[in-house]
Amino acid sequence: MGFGDLKSPAGLQVLNDYLADKSYIEGYVPSQADVAVFEAVSSPPPADLCHALRWYNHIKSYEKEKASLPGVKKALGKYGPADVEDTTGSGATDSKDDDDIDLFGSDDEEESEEAKRLREERLAQYESKKAKKPALVAKSSILLDVKPWDDETDMAKLEECVRSIQADGLVWGSSKLVPVGYGIKKLQIQCVVEDDKVGTDMLEEQITAFEDYVQSMDVAAFNKI
Amino acid sequence: MAAAAELSLLEKSLGLSKGNKYSAQGERQIPVLQTNNGPSLTGLTTIAAHLVKQANKEYLLGSTAEEKAIVQQWLEYRVTQVDGHSSKNDIHTLLKDLNSYLEDKVYLTGYNFTLADILLYYGLHRFIVDLTVQEKEKYLNVSRWFCHIQHYPGIRQHLSSVVFIKNRLYTNSH
Repeated sequence: MGFGDLKSPAGLQVLNDYLADKSYIEGYVPSQADVAVFEAVSSPPPADLCHALRWYNHIKSYEKEKASLPGVKKALGKYGPADVEDTTGSGATDSKDDDDIDLFGSDDEEESEEAKRLREERLAQYESKKAKKPALVAKSSILLDVKPWDDETDMAKLEECVRSIQADGLVWGSSKLVPVGYGIKKLQIQCVVEDDKVGTDMLEEQITAFEDYVQSMDVAAFNKI
Repeated sequence: MAAAAELSLLEKSLGLSKGNKYSAQGERQIPVLQTNNGPSLTGLTTIAAHLVKQANKEYLLGSTAEEKAIVQQWLEYRVTQVDGHSSKNDIHTLLKDLNSYLEDKVYLTGYNFTLADILLYYGLHRFIVDLTVQEKEKYLNVSRWFCHIQHYPGIRQHLSSVVFIKNRLYTNSH
């Protein structure tokens, strides 16, 4: 791990690429990881490294609160993309000079006609045997938790809404109300789906679309059958 | 998403107890909030600003004069541009502009999380969920900002979580 030498253009480029889709070095809040990397960068990155410059200016605005940012400060080499070699310890770069000998290569022998014919015959046999096998339909049994907004939500109506979702490969099963607390109950409902046709993402979208009744939905259990 | 449902989401993220009743008026279904004392409030940004003050979180409306002005601008942008256009071309123009704007910013006002980030996240959610992987990478700065806001505690709630792939699939996009 690491960014390489953050005082060199190559290291800053690694930092820029790393921060292209992130706001911070780690997680979604500024932390000691950002402080450590910020201190390793000696000057603001150039303007063409716009992601690194954005991050630098942002962390700079936390200058007064540096010590109080969350997280534990680690060595500089602990942060950053995994595929970059850590050069913070030593500046030397060993150049590996290995002769590339292919120990597993083989001479390209000409196949005999008889062996070729036999191989193709066996491949054809395998192919026809494979084609006869009937395709199994992959199914799953899913237990969903559907949560209402508050204790006044009409749970019968909520269940009616959930069961109104119809799709090829979706079968609704039994359901029950489970107390959560403070008089609120959640709907626990079973369904069987064909994996190729129905997914939990689709179910979540359709169930949470009932905004008047549904606050959120979770997958409580997911079993292959 | 209906404006009333969005304002309920906002109430929850601000920590207010749910008790307000919203109605809608006019052809464009402008939200209306009937307060206990005084006249009713009309319009998404008006009600949202009122809720922020009610929750004693006025820092979300900006800490400096410039920040306040920028927040106001983005709330106006949300109502006029994001809600006002729904065609595919308009959305891509909108994302392109936003992508340029967010190149050097973590949040919309620069360094601080504000109401503008919350409402723009709610407004853009229905478009971002339909983007392809290639489009998410094309608008990389919007994706970074959106992913950041959706992980902010208490903001997403029941909205579906949008997946942003870590590995870059389409090179030479920027």
